[in-house]
Formats: sequence, C-alpha cells, structure tokens
Amino acid sequence: MIRSDGQPVSLFEYQQQGGYSALEKALQSSPSDITELVKDAQLQGRGGAGFLTGVKWGFVPMGEQAPTTKYLIVNADEMEPGTFKDRLLLEGNPHQMLEGIIISAYAIQAPKSYIFLRWAYKSSANRLLTAIQEATDAGYIGKDILNSGFDLEIALHTSVGRYMCGEETGLLSALEGGRAIPRAKPPFPQISGLFGKPSIVNNVETLCCVPHIVEKGAEWFKGLSIGDGGGTKLYGASGKVNTPGIYELPLGTPLREILEEHAGGMKNGYRFRAALPGGASTDFLTEEHMDVKMDFKSVSACGSRLGTGTIIVMDNHTCPVGFVHNLEHFFAQESCGWCTPCREGLPWVERILKSIELGEGQDGDLDVLREHTSGLGPGMTFCALAPGAMAPLKSALNYFEDDFQSHIREKKCPFREN
Amino acid sequence: MKTPQAYINSRPFTITSSSETVLDFLQHHFGDTVVPTLCKAPNLEPIGSCRLCTVKVKNPNDKDFRMVAACHTPVTPECEIVTHSPDLKALRRHIMELILTDHPLDCIICEANGQCELQDTAAEIGINAVRYAPGKDHHHYPQDLSHPFMRSDMAKCINCYRCIEVCDQIQGDFVLNMAGRGMDSRVIKSLDSSFENSQCIACGACAQTCPTAAISDVFKFKEAAAIDQVATVCTYCGVGCNLEVSVGVDGVLSIGAPWGSEVNPGHTCLKGRYAFGFYNHRDRLRDPMIKRNGTLKPVGWEEVYQFITAKLSAIKETYGPHAVAGISSSRCTNEENYLMQKFMRAVIGTNNIDGCARLCHAPTAIGMQRTFGTGAATNSIKELELTDCILVIGANPTEAHPVTGAKIKQQAFKGKTLVVIDPRTTEMARLADYHLQLRPGTNVAVLNMMMHFIIKNNWADQEFIKERCEGYQLFKEKVLAVDVDFLSAISGVPKELASSAAKVYAQSDASMCFHGLGVTEHAQGTDAVCLIADLAMITGNIGRPGVGVNPLRGQNNVQGSADMGVQPNQGPGYLKMEDPGVRNYYQEHYGVPVPDDQGLTIPEMLDEALAGRLKALWIIGEHVLQTEPNIEKVKKALQNLDLLIVQELFPTETALQAHVVLPGASFLEKSGTFTNGERRVQRVNKVVEPIGNAKSDGQIITDIMQEMGYDQEDYDHKKVLAEITQVVPFFEGITWENLGVNGKQWPVNSDGSDTKILHTETFKIGKGRLIFKPFRESPELQKHAKKYPFILTTNRALEHYNCGTMTQRTELNELMEEDILLINPSDAAKRNMFDGELVTITSARASTQIRLQIDRSVNPGVLSTTFHFPEVLINKLSGDVYDPDSYCPEYKVIAVNINKFS
Ligand SMILES: Cc1cc2nc3c(=O)[nH]c(=O)nc-3n(C[C@H](O)[C@H](O)[C@H](O)COP(=O)(O)O)c2cc1C
Ligand code: SF4
Ligand code: SF4
Ligand code: SF4
Ligand code: SF4
Ligand code: FES
Repeated sequence: MIRSDGQPVSLFEYQQQGGYSALEKALQSSPSDITELVKDAQLQGRGGAGFLTGVKWGFVPMGEQAPTTKYLIVNADEMEPGTFKDRLLLEGNPHQMLEGIIISAYAIQAPKSYIFLRWAYKSSANRLLTAIQEATDAGYIGKDILNSGFDLEIALHTSVGRYMCGEETGLLSALEGGRAIPRAKPPFPQISGLFGKPSIVNNVETLCCVPHIVEKGAEWFKGLSIGDGGGTKLYGASGKVNTPGIYELPLGTPLREILEEHAGGMKNGYRFRAALPGGASTDFLTEEHMDVKMDFKSVSACGSRLGTGTIIVMDNHTCPVGFVHNLEHFFAQESCGWCTPCREGLPWVERILKSIELGEGQDGDLDVLREHTSGLGPGMTFCALAPGAMAPLKSALNYFEDDFQSHIREKKCPFREN
Repeated sequence: MKTPQAYINSRPFTITSSSETVLDFLQHHFGDTVVPTLCKAPNLEPIGSCRLCTVKVKNPNDKDFRMVAACHTPVTPECEIVTHSPDLKALRRHIMELILTDHPLDCIICEANGQCELQDTAAEIGINAVRYAPGKDHHHYPQDLSHPFMRSDMAKCINCYRCIEVCDQIQGDFVLNMAGRGMDSRVIKSLDSSFENSQCIACGACAQTCPTAAISDVFKFKEAAAIDQVATVCTYCGVGCNLEVSVGVDGVLSIGAPWGSEVNPGHTCLKGRYAFGFYNHRDRLRDPMIKRNGTLKPVGWEEVYQFITAKLSAIKETYGPHAVAGISSSRCTNEENYLMQKFMRAVIGTNNIDGCARLCHAPTAIGMQRTFGTGAATNSIKELELTDCILVIGANPTEAHPVTGAKIKQQAFKGKTLVVIDPRTTEMARLADYHLQLRPGTNVAVLNMMMHFIIKNNWADQEFIKERCEGYQLFKEKVLAVDVDFLSAISGVPKELASSAAKVYAQSDASMCFHGLGVTEHAQGTDAVCLIADLAMITGNIGRPGVGVNPLRGQNNVQGSADMGVQPNQGPGYLKMEDPGVRNYYQEHYGVPVPDDQGLTIPEMLDEALAGRLKALWIIGEHVLQTEPNIEKVKKALQNLDLLIVQELFPTETALQAHVVLPGASFLEKSGTFTNGERRVQRVNKVVEPIGNAKSDGQIITDIMQEMGYDQEDYDHKKVLAEITQVVPFFEGITWENLGVNGKQWPVNSDGSDTKILHTETFKIGKGRLIFKPFRESPELQKHAKKYPFILTTNRALEHYNCGTMTQRTELNELMEEDILLINPSDAAKRNMFDGELVTITSARASTQIRLQIDRSVNPGVLSTTFHFPEVLINKLSGDVYDPDSYCPEYKVIAVNINKFS
C-alpha cells in the first residue's frame, strides 16, 4: 500500500487498512509459531542472497538458557548500484516495515532493534522517526506491547555511506561504532552478532512481507508466487526502457514480462542487449534468457543471481566495456581493503578496463582480467563484495568478448564518436 | 565414539580438538609451512586478510570442493582437504603478485632482509613476474622516526592487519587502525599521528608481529645480524617475562619476546623489550673500589677480598656476629640470594639478613602465612581466562605490571566484572565496573565494609567456611559489629558501592583478587592482606581455577628472595629460625651451627646503626638513599657504620657512601633462576660477559665465603640450585634441566610435577584461619594531619622502574623525564596553582620541589606522584611509620602541605 502522491501512509491510514492487526495476532501466538509460519511461507531474503528467512531465524538461541539481549537489525543501507526498492517502502509506508520489525523481533525475542539506514536517505529518516514516534505513542513499541509482556525499543542509525556497511557483518561492525569491516563466519550473527549477541539482519523488503504472512497465512503467501519461493517481489527496471520504476509482481514473473509489459519495452531507437537482473553485483543475462522466471532459483540456473531484483538494462548503444568499467570503478572504491585480492586486485581491474576503454588495451589484458575473475571469485576473498564485483565482468567477458577485442584491436572505443 | 578425522590430500588424519580450524589441523599434521600464510600470527584470532592459506574443502554433504581460507574455517569431521593443486598454485601466485606490485622491492637494503615473512612466503610460492604496470601505490608513504623506540616505514606495509589486531587483542591500547578504503587503506597511529604523538606505549608487540619491516624499532629487531639468540627472563617486574635476546659481536642488539612463552607469548612491556641500554652504560661500575682518604679508588679483587675479610673478621671478633648485617636483593637470582643468607647465617653467624621485599611485599608474606600458611600467589595468571570477576586492590598493573595488566584489560574488554579499589582513577579504574576510590590508608575500612555486607546479606559461602576454615564464629561477630557508617565516612566510599562490589565478588562463580603495594605499604599492610585472604575464604574463592589471592610482585625476584630465606626470622623455604629442629636441619646441610637470634629487619638495621650497635652492613643492589623512607635519617645511619659494603651496578648515592664498592653483574651477564609472582621458577641465562672487572653477585659472595674460611664449593649456579633443592622442601623436584623453557611453579614434587593452584584440598596449616582486623587510623595522620592537611601517596609509572638507576640510563628518559605531582583541580584552584607550575611540598620530615599537574584522577585532599627521580627524592618526605607486623614502611600515606615555590 503506497500513496500515489508520494506522501507516506499515516498511522491512521495504515490502521484503516488493517495495519497492526497482524501484530495483535502475532503477539497472541508463540514466537516459534511465527518463525514456523515464515518458514512455511517460504519467504526468501530480499537483500540479495535469497536465504530462507524463517530458517535464518531458527538459528537464534531461544528459551530460558538463551541470552536475554538479542538484536533484530534492519538492513536499509541500499547502496547496490541501480537499486532503489527499499527506499520506496521506507518512504511510502514506514509503518508496514515497523510492524514487520515488531513481529520479527517478537519471533526471535529481541528487545532491541536497529534500523541501519543509508546516509543519503534523508526523507526516509524523517518519515521513519515520525512513524516510530507514532507507533510508540500508540503502544506498538515500548514496554509491554499491547499487554503481551513483550518489550521492544527501535532505534534509527544512519550509516556513514559505504557500500560495505550493507554487507551483513560489515553492518554489524559499523553499528558497533567501528570500521565497516566484515567478520569471519562462523560465528554466524544469529549466534554471535552485534556486541557478541545473537542478531538477525534482514532486508527492508523482507520484513515488509512479514505482517502480510501473519495476517493472511503461509499458503496465501506462497500462492502469490508463480515461481520458486513465496510472495510477491519488488522488481525494478532502469535503463532505456519506456517506464522505468518499481513493480510489485508475483515472484517468478518472467524477465520478458517485466521489461516488455510493465516497464513498457525499450525506448525508440534502442535495442535490448543485456541486463543485470538484480543490481551491479549480478551476472549479465542476455536475449536468450528473456523467458527466465525471475526467482532466486531460476535466475541462478542461468548463471546469474536474482540479487535485489532491480533490473539494469544495457542497450545496443552502450559500450559494455565502459559499462563494466563504471561498475568496477565503484567496486574498487568501495572495497573495504581488508583482503589482498580485493584491495589490490580491483584497482588493477579498473585500471585495465579503463585503458581498454581508452584504446590503450594490450594483448593479454583479457587473460589478466580472467585471472582476476577467478582469483577474486567466491571463497577467494573475505566477503562477497569481490565475487559480486567479478560477476558483471566475468559475464561480460563471456558474452561480449568481441567488444573487448575490438577495443584492443582498433585502439579505441567503437561506441565513441572519434 | 570414533575419533573424528578428516582427509588431507586423500589421507585420513585425526582431528584433535573440536575448535580446530582447517589451518590448525593441517599444521598439526604437516607443520607450520604446510600452506603459505601471511596474516596468521601466533596468539591472535584468525584475521583472514591475506587469503594465501586458501585450500579446497569438500564437506560430506557438498557436491563440489569449495575454496576457503584455512585459517578461519573450522574443520568438520570427514571433510576432504586439498592443499596443493594447479589452481591453488595459480591463486597463491596471483595474490603474491598483487602484494609485490605494491611493495618497494628494495629487499637488499631492508632491515628485515633474510628475516622477512613476505620474502620467505614469496620464495615458497614462487612468482613468475610482476606484470602490472605501475600506477597508484604506497611507495611514497613516509618513514616515522619520531619515537625513541618505535619505527615505521609504511611503504613496506602489506595491510595484513596483524599490528592492529595485536595492539587490540594483546596490548589492549587500540593505538593502531586502518584509515581509508580499498587501495588507499593504510595503517595509522591514533588519529593519524606519529608514534611519538600517538597513544602508543611502546610495548613493541606490533613490531614483533609485523611480517615485514613496516613496523620495527630503533634496535632493528628484525635484522639478521645476530650471531646468537639467548632466552632469559626480564630483570624488571615480577611478571617475569621471558625474553629472547639477540647478541652480536658488540653485545646485545635487540630483545624480543618468545612466542612459546607461557608468561608472555610475543608480548612484553617497553622496559623489558627496550630498556636494556643500562647494561653497558658508561656509568657502570667496572672495578672494585675501596675508600681511602675519603675517595673511592679502584683496586683488584684480591685486595678488596682481603680488605673485607679482615674488616668483617675484626668486627665479628670485637663486637660479635650480630654487629654485622646484610641486605640482599630481589633483583638477584635465587642462587645469589640463597648464598647471601647462607653467608650471613653460616659464615658470620647472625640472622641479620633482610631484603628489599621488606619494603614491598613483606606484609603479603606474613598476612598470607597467617591465614593460609603460605605466603605466595595462590593461583596463576593464565587463570584470568577462567575467572568471572577480577578484584584489583591497591595495584596499578597497567603501569607497574604491564603484561599482566594487559591481560586483565583483555578480560575486562570481554565483559568480565572488574572491581578496582584504589585512591586514584588509574587506567584499570576507568575500565572498572565498580571503582571504590577510597582515601589513602583506608583499605582495612573498605574491606571490613565489604565483608560486613557479605555476611549480613548471606552472600558468604557457608559450605566452604564450614569445611575449610576456622574461627568463623568470632570473625562473624566482629565483622557484623563494625560501624559501616563510620567506615564509609572515613574511607569516602559510599556504602551502596561497597555493597554492590562485595556482592559481585561474592556471587560470581569465580572471583580472582590481585593486590599490590597499595595494600602492603601501609601502617596496616599486614592487616589488609589478612582481610583480603578472609574475603577470599568466606566467599569460597580459594583452591580452584580462576580464583585466589594473587600479590603482584614489584621486583623480578621478590618471591624468590623470600623463598631463599632472605628475612631474619625464616631461613630457606620459610622454616622458622626460632625452632631448634629447623636449626638442626640447616646445620646438617651447612656443616656449622646456625644462629638463634631474632635478627634485624632493614628498618631495625638502620636504627641499630644509628644507635652505634650495628657496625658493618653489606648491601647488594639497593639504593637505600632513594628508596628507604626518611632519607636524612638513613644517611646518618650509614655514616655511623664502621664498614659499609655496597655491591652495585652504578655509582649511586648509596654506593658513594660506602667504604667498599663491589661491581656486580647485571641480569644479562649471569645465569641462575628468578621466581615470578606466580611462583614460577625460570631460567636466567647469561647473554654477555660481565662488563669490565665486574663479577656476578653469586661469584662475589662465594669468593668471600671461601676467603673467610668457609668450605663453599666454587660458584656454579647449577650446583647452587642443586643445593637449594636439597634444602628448600618445595624446590624438591627442580633441576636446572627440567625447568625447561617455561620454568616450574612451586611446590615442585619429586617427580618434577609442579603446582598451578595452591590450597586445593587443605591449607598448609590445615584449615584456613579467619582473622579479623579493625580499622586504625595511620599514626602519620594522627600525628601530622592537622599541620599537613594533604595526603601524599606514591606510585610507579610505566616508563620507569623504582629509583631509576637502570631505566634512567636508557632512552626511557625521553619518554618521562621527571616526577610529576598530581592534584585535584579544586585544590589547585583554591591555592591559585597552575598546571606545570613548580611547587613545594613539605612533610614533618623535609620538603622538596616538584612540578604540578592538575588531574581529576586524584580526589580533593589527595596528592600523588612517582618516586623515580633523585632530583625530587620524594622519600625525603616519607615518615617512619611502619606496619608493626612486617616492618614495611608506610610509603603510601604521607601528611604534607603544598605551597607555591618561591
Ligand atoms: C557488499 C555487500 C553489500 C550489501 N548491501 C546490502 C544492502 O545494502 N542492503 C541489504 O539489504 N543487503 C545487502 N547485502 C546483503 C546482506 O549481506 C544480507 O545478506 C542481507 O541484509 C540479509 O537480509 P535478508 O536475509 O533479509 O535478505 C549486501 C551484501 C554484500 C556482500
Ligand atoms: S572482499 Fe573486499 S570488501 Fe570484502 S573483505 Fe575483502 S577487501 Fe573487504
Ligand atoms: S607498540 Fe604496543 S601500544 Fe604501541 S602501537 Fe604497537 S602494539 Fe600498540
Ligand atoms: S604494518 Fe606490518 S603488521 Fe601492520 S598491516 Fe602493515 S605489514 Fe601488517
Ligand atoms: S611486564 Fe614486567 S617482566 Fe614483563 S617486560 Fe615488563 S617489566 Fe619485564
Ligand atoms: S593466513 Fe589465512 S587468510 Fe591470511
């Protein structure tokens, strides 16, 4: 539920539409029932990895022996290039997310929740603060929520604006006041996270699904999807499409349908060449993948990842080398510098791409780039940033090798005028 | 159950511990170099930054092998691990190439050349070429030459993070950090300053852990020039750090900390690592000297021995053996202390033997003997890892026992409860959950209050009391009868605070107490120690891991000198001289009768000298003219002697007073054993030959014993140790060989097994004795508080050691060059005094000038300073109040007044 005038849904409006009734319902069931419900609904994390949310919650120690301090943390850092879905949810209907937070915190019995917000999202911050105040005044947040005996505090933390702050454990380090440096897993945050206490980090969109699951049931939620996993998904479309934007569609809606029906197809004079299905750190999909169902499993089967589901379209007038160089520039800059391959490797990758783009590429450059795509691949680096950074490069070298070759051969970028 | 196993390159091996990482597992079976590593450092949590240790692992449920960093991946039973394959080789070369592209390749002129982990690892991996064209790099980062000890050259940094982690996880000072992102990230000190201007306390741990020459020290610790490396033990504090001394043709080059040490793996403080320059300082005494016509003249050893023998024999002849006294030194080895007491008892025939422990931990020895039967730390420092609550009373371990202090800090960071009882807001107090900032001289009051609340609120461990203690009924009555309102008012510690602190100490599963000179150097020093022992007993904190009463020993061998019999009333092994059976026992070993007199403690020796009854005094390694209280009086006492022999490293004021000066050897110049604060007897090994004509103290004492006609075997530290093991019961199972690298904690049984925890089943005296002691106001304050309304308390700084004869002959003077007086802002304001101003402080004895620092770490009415510098000579001011049980002087409470310097 989002208003068309860009204003946030007020508490009153939200309640009118049945808002916070899911919370009432949730507080009457046991925490483990909620976790089971979310498991049954097959809600997959919307932050990019698609891990089953209920399963993740299930790792949190519960019961008498469990630590009393636990944290539910909302990942609202949204720094993935091309991604802007969480912003819509934060600005449009903050109460929906708050309700999701309260229910989820109840499910893991966390008395404290942090919303970790991207620094640039100023209006989200204001709207969240207002909504938190409203919800506190209404008794949804604070001590003994709705006479359930459950207490919860929600605090807003604005990030300093680093891509690494969005990575689950980097986020925890940043929230503790340190440098946004990822942590080794194990220990997993569910066991030892923020300040060494059990913590759950969930994406904004993930949490926004929770009230609806509680309200309407797991079967209903699963039924919304036409692919693997449950629910709807916010898909984004950007690039030279006619109506770029965010579309809530059943999970598993085919790529073609999203781009052609909802995003209105390509603009006049532009042809579709390829797309990053879920943000900058996913592999390209091309024409041949147009009919892939946009769910986590199906996209993976095509050698990419659904990621955030915000599709970036690359058209026939855009230089793939320049496109990838642009992305790698971002990644090299945002590398936290912890591990050698990423810290030292990404700047070299960027340097090579730049020289190719400038027509200064050399024979052998592509071999060096390929060496990086494996040297910075999954498992080779401390966190997922570097493998993510290699995804578009690796697939570009695969699908657009000719473009790279022609840059080197012709000693210039064929997409540029001179 | 089947022992868990996993496969390394298709062969099965046993997993020894469930917490093992893949790297631990691999190294366990194939040694440290099984896979290359750069960021993995001993004693640090895995970092995972270099990625060189990457291996392929396939767990039973996995379809394929995964690439993982071995150092931070737990090993799972039945997994398959591949350590070497073409793709792993390519990956490692790729990483190495990345590192080297950004590294100045000037190995040939680098300090670490030949000792560099990066070099070794690169050689091991083999690199084809450094292919990348130059671009942005780190090569322009400047060197940092600002600090007297620390050095950095960040162009050589490979961003492994080891230094940062070591400063956080071992030293706990959080000086180093990484600034910038990605390629721009670089190690910075504090807020990007130089070492000199940063918060660095120069422990040197980062230099030691850095795999390249990026961080090192002025001694070029990594240089391969050493011809030998000798393991020995630090000469400074009672932590007893193990040192690894690199020696070149011209002597000591640098000092590091052995990774394998149990006491201080890879860690020391700046004194142990860097303050060794005194050993060949130009001021070192190189020849024996005899004073003739008022001036000391160098002479040969023969002459000096004859001179001493003649004099001592004459005095003994004329005035009897008790006109002679000896002061042995806690800085010397066990063997030397043993010989000195043997000389006094068996050769001279008097119990007039005492040591500098009199001035520090004599109350500990007596208090703990009275309550437990044994005057030594009950537990081991390592048990800090097992405790839940740490109580620090009258100790400032981050300055005075830095390596133990750092370990306590780490536990506090981990969330263990920390209670600090101290008049000053020390670093430890700032980290504490409860800081009881008592008025100096009221330890007994605060301990009484705490025990009152424990007993009143039923927080005591009745079972332990019933089974292990005696005297509880009376004790309880007295404790319940104390007036807590009065005690709270006099100590300045709110009742609620005392009660909360008492509650956590009593109710934590395991509480461990540490105390220092802030407990002992008081008129009620022994009383306070008894009460600390009581506190531990009534709460059941004795005799199991992670608990106990643990004195932090000031000097390296305080424990050992007392163990060796350096006190008038007890011989080696604390056997009582007054007991005829004991005297027979010693006579059997020494072949001559031993004396039965009461003997003199140091303060009594000085009194007797002043009275003209003591004629000869032999002082080893103690600068009494700076460290004894009421120095004017000491001076007169020394002047009254017929023979003053001072055995020293340096021409101190005390030495200059002597009739005979004997040049002793420093710890680097001799072998033997030291016993640290946790009863750990450790081997000291000679690193260099004694300077000039100096001799080891053991050699000198032996020579004089022989010269005086006693049948003492030629000096050999191993033989003396063997003799000690015959005489001292708790040394029974010790041999020089079986001490090994980490020593043994006494009592050592005949089979060589040692003891980490004392009093596990019973106390030496059967049941523990609960002894109540009421609070008494210090006589110093009773007498002088009216006229001298401030209380001055003295303490030590990290940068110096006691009277500073050693540390002030090192670069440490650049770090701290004078004693500073701390005053509360409100007191300073009332007297219109400014920061940095020179002021006069006056006690009933004397006055001195000192620079002021306005500081909230002391309460109004309290002043605090260090006693390191002869220029200030703070002990001119201290009084002649003693703890009546131990004769330990009350250094910690001096009534003074403060005035502007005119
Ligand atoms: C470099 C990097 C950046 C990330 N940034 C975000 C982000 O901005 N927002 C987000 O929700 N998840 C981000 N993630 C994913 C999180 O690590 C984590 O998987 C997610 O917050 C879990 O929430 P979910 O289970 O609800 O999806 C990022 C991951 C990486 C490796
Ligand atoms: S992969 Fe990059 S971002 Fe992740 S830890 Fe390593 S350096 Fe940091
Ligand atoms: S010398 Fe010690 S205190 Fe200084 S930066 Fe290094 S580790 Fe930290
Ligand atoms: S200074 Fe040394 S220890 Fe620190 S990060 Fe650089 S190379 Fe590693
Ligand atoms: S802590 Fe003590 S024993 Fe260790 S190096 Fe420092 S002074 Fe020496
Ligand atoms: S040793 Fe494992 S990553 Fe460096």
